[in-house]
Amino acid sequence: MSTVKLTIDGKVAEVSSGLTVLQAARSIGIEIPALCYDESLEIFGACRMCIVEIEGSNKLQTSCSILVKNGMVVHTETDRIKKTRKDIVQMLLDSHPNDCLTCQKSGECLLQDYAYKYDATFRKHDGAMRPQLMDTSSPYILRDNSKCILCGKCVLTCYQVSDRQILSFSERGYDTKIVFGADQTIEESPCVSCNRCVAVCPVGALVDKRQIGKIRNWDGKSTVVMCKACEYGCEFEVHSKNKENLAVTAKEPSNGRPLCLKGRLATELKYLENPDTPYRKIGQKFEKTTWDKALGITELIEKMNRLEQKVKGEEE
Amino acid sequence: MQIIINGKNYDVDKNTTILKACRDNGIEIPTLCHDDRLSPSGACRLCLVEVEGWKNLHTSCTAMCKDNMVIHTHSDKVIKGRQEVLDLLISNHPLECLTCEKSGACKLQDYCYEYGITEGTYRWEMKKPYLDISNPFYNFDSRKCILCGLCVRVCDELQGTSAIGFENRGFETNVATPFNEGLINSTCVSCGNCVSVCPVGALEPKSKEKFRYWETKDVRTTCSYCGVGCQMDLVVKDNKVVDVKPAFDGLNEGLLCVKGKFSYNFLAHPDRLKKPMVKKDGVFVETSWEEAYDIIVDKMKYTKDNFGADSFAGLTSARCTNEENYLFQKMFRAVLGTNNVDHCARL
Repeated sequence: MSTVKLTIDGKVAEVSSGLTVLQAARSIGIEIPALCYDESLEIFGACRMCIVEIEGSNKLQTSCSILVKNGMVVHTETDRIKKTRKDIVQMLLDSHPNDCLTCQKSGECLLQDYAYKYDATFRKHDGAMRPQLMDTSSPYILRDNSKCILCGKCVLTCYQVSDRQILSFSERGYDTKIVFGADQTIEESPCVSCNRCVAVCPVGALVDKRQIGKIRNWDGKSTVVMCKACEYGCEFEVHSKNKENLAVTAKEPSNGRPLCLKGRLATELKYLENPDTPYRKIGQKFEKTTWDKALGITELIEKMNRLEQKVKGEEE
Repeated sequence: MQIIINGKNYDVDKNTTILKACRDNGIEIPTLCHDDRLSPSGACRLCLVEVEGWKNLHTSCTAMCKDNMVIHTHSDKVIKGRQEVLDLLISNHPLECLTCEKSGACKLQDYCYEYGITEGTYRWEMKKPYLDISNPFYNFDSRKCILCGLCVRVCDELQGTSAIGFENRGFETNVATPFNEGLINSTCVSCGNCVSVCPVGALEPKSKEKFRYWETKDVRTTCSYCGVGCQMDLVVKDNKVVDVKPAFDGLNEGLLCVKGKFSYNFLAHPDRLKKPMVKKDGVFVETSWEEAYDIIVDKMKYTKDNFGADSFAGLTSARCTNEENYLFQKMFRAVLGTNNVDHCARL
């Protein structure tokens, strides 16, 4: 592929012509803020945070969706951009609950990071706020509509696995929201609780329910481990405090790694001292189950028990 | 003495507080105002425990263990009590965790998360805002102060400066300087020990860098300012020091002085010399250490041969280690042959 030369913030970058401005900037160490961009997802251009100034064009453009061109001169942090980004964050905050005190995502929330970076704070207003629709039906995923910023990452990542594709946008304009299945609860929808959507959510709209109240990002340590349930080798994070492993969360799926509930439960059982009770979805209901059933090893254990008894019988 | 905590038997020494007995045995009890180095004050009421036979919940930081005491540290009654305390505190605290500099290292935030207090339910008056930015190293924001008294006690009992104290009574209570004349007009020596112990965002260093505590890592080092050898943790973000925390397990036991606590900006200062400079044609240019040493040796030899050893005078720094200063004087006395050697001995 041919290469093009462009200037970003005074630095000359020589990159392949298929890249976007955002990718080119990252390749030379210039970080452009983005809420909806993810290198493993389709380009969406929803959040508008990655806007840059390109000389010759008087409009700000989203760097995630514009391709590099020879001789392009790009500015990523001018006063105009900073002001616009602050306005974007401000508008998101105006429709977001002030909950960093106890929000599970606090400390790893991109909205929080950008609010701090661009000096935006929660303000009092009597305008509309996103309706507080909390879906507590699943033991694995907590969905909080009031915190959603509609970046669409969850929809895109769910769409990548052909037999899932559960999440989608519904309604229009300010009423837009993310729905599971045909606007069902997580429990009723065909969701398989793989937590792909949780792993990519930049805010606290989709959080891992089994981590809530146990440990937050800045507390203790996190170790990345590889799942041993199948050959894909998806990655999980084990969170520990005072040498005790408290929670397991899914890392962002990448390189075709699908993530699944079985792998997650197997990882929990392997690393956690006190894993929570596993649940299985039977029909449209989550039901408490045993570890052997959750991991699908009931037959195996029965066989082992039979063998053990047989050996004992022969000994006698 | 024998006591029972949460159904388990423990042996404790006489004159042990319940809090110490619990912590020594690995039972974590939340506190906002307790510090092992300071006198117990029982201000925050978060360390409440239930003792069988006692009617009320008691602060474990001030209550002493008695023989055959039966203690519950996490019973429903205790949890409810702590939740009530946190509710009262957060009701009178601005909800600015989004952008608060302390976020991620704030004990109030951590305990609210642990005890599930999402917001204050008492909706009336809030603390009167008072911002003291007069000190060049740190700010005081009364809105975020929870009146735990750690800053007052550390200033009084350990630093011995007594620059700050409590003023007024009841809801009007505030941490203040004499006659409210501001920190800069008080006896404050800017040691920053109050900043180090503040559990919330009320006392915050004036930082030149924007950073969040979850983006940083701590690097243990020895303070290089004087010979005491205080231990401290440099808070590092992207290979740049952005804050300093005193270490509690060093000989300084969690204390630092103004230099150790606040004087770290020179580390990454653009004017800082990182390579030796040699004057060539009237201007200083960067050079290699090899070339610099060659020049020094040549000039020393030339000077000694032509003007004698006593034409030298050496001045070294009190910021060097004893070993470095020893070597320096050794070089002057034994190699160059002069006793003209001294160091600044003060900073």
